[in-house]
Amino acid sequence: MGFDQFVADRLDRLLGYATAITCDKHLAQDIVQNVLIRAQGKWERIGAMDAPYLYVKRMVTNDYLSWRRRRAAREIAVERAELAKHAPSMADPADAHAEREAMRARIAILPRKQRAALVLRFYEDCSDAEIAQVLGCAESTVRSQLSRALQTLRTHELARSATLGVHS
Amino acid sequence: MNDLIRQAIAAEAEERVDSRTVLANLHKAKKRKPFGLIVGVATLTVAAAVAAVVIPTTLKKTDASPAAQTPAAQNVLLIGTDEYHRTDALVFARFEGDGSATVISLPRDIYVGSGPDRINSLYMEDPRKLTDAVEQMTGAKVDHYAAINMSAFGQIAAAVGGVEVCLSAPAKDPRSGTDLPAGRQLISGDQALAFLRQRFDLTGGDLDRAKRHQAFLAGLAAKITKDNALMIARQVSGTIQVDQGWDVAEFAARFQGPVKIRTTTLPVGEPVQRDGTFGFAVDPAQAKQFVETQFNGEGPVRDGCVY
Repeated sequence: MGFDQFVADRLDRLLGYATAITCDKHLAQDIVQNVLIRAQGKWERIGAMDAPYLYVKRMVTNDYLSWRRRRAAREIAVERAELAKHAPSMADPADAHAEREAMRARIAILPRKQRAALVLRFYEDCSDAEIAQVLGCAESTVRSQLSRALQTLRTHELARSATLGVHS
Repeated sequence: MNDLIRQAIAAEAEERVDSRTVLANLHKAKKRKPFGLIVGVATLTVAAAVAAVVIPTTLKKTDASPAAQTPAAQNVLLIGTDEYHRTDALVFARFEGDGSATVISLPRDIYVGSGPDRINSLYMEDPRKLTDAVEQMTGAKVDHYAAINMSAFGQIAAAVGGVEVCLSAPAKDPRSGTDLPAGRQLISGDQALAFLRQRFDLTGGDLDRAKRHQAFLAGLAAKITKDNALMIARQVSGTIQVDQGWDVAEFAARFQGPVKIRTTTLPVGEPVQRDGTFGFAVDPAQAKQFVETQFNGEGPVRDGCVY
């Protein structure tokens, strides 16, 4: 597949993925742009792979996980967490929108690698093996990252339900 | 809870920026040429030959004493050959002292003399015969020649991560192995070679092929950076032959910065038949006039899609 064709087919999806793992659309844009420019330079090799998309996704993920401005990323997440704390009290708990926004905020404060695993599973529908490829780790690590993420989200969910007096 | 997670992540992803913005930025980045240096086939081929093959030997001889004055303009005949040293492409280029070049493709089916002999058979017989014929036809002196095996271009294209070309229509030709969609695309390796070699099913035959050569070389020139120039030189070393007695170091000294390249094809009119095959009969007076105008002034700059 040619590079231009790849971009035409996958750019939007890639931006969605990057936005979901970074929780910052501008950072996502920067990362995707930089990665695609780099990928173009070695497209001969990438384009010949079985799964070029998986490889480019790995580049995007690596860029984010090794991103130096951790503090800035942290700030975004914290801000989101602040919002989340206030969301339940302001909104009707039965409101699906509020539920979703609260979950979004909790996902935003997960450790980066856990969030990446989560997005790969629930947004990209990747298998454990594929996630392992993208994250560059063992499948057992993928499973532990995912279970830790789900554990955290569940704990929060339970705490929130208890506070609000509803059963989840 | 999993559904909720799914919805939350989808909502997060929904925030993404418009992909058209990113696409526009990518195109902008593409247009930004690596340190502004644009070189055409001629520059590339010859400069690569220089770097890889000739400079090391000449430097030993001359102890590197770079000339202070601007190098003189030179006319160089570039010969693209296949693996049997048959001529596939002929390019006549004039390099000015500042490195800028005018590049004229000479269709290889041009008849030499009044018989059925074509220009593409001469190099194999004797390079001297070819340079004489070009001088006679164009009225311009051939100062030097360089021959490159065109199969090297497949590897070169691969080495730079593909060369962008634009096709006006899909190209499919089982004889050359070409199978490419319409539009802009990166080609490399065997597809690049097939693209350069396809001649059948092109409305203009070898003339369209010459345009493809120009398009490919412009695309390749755009991919050359100071980081990969040496690697390219290595790729083509051993596949290039230049004439004896060419002071290539002096020639190469002119390539210091951005280089302007104009490309065009020698007009040949309608094909004529001799001994049952078709070729082009070039009117020497017209050809001389054309080459003189091109070498002196502004030739058209080729840009856009090719067939």
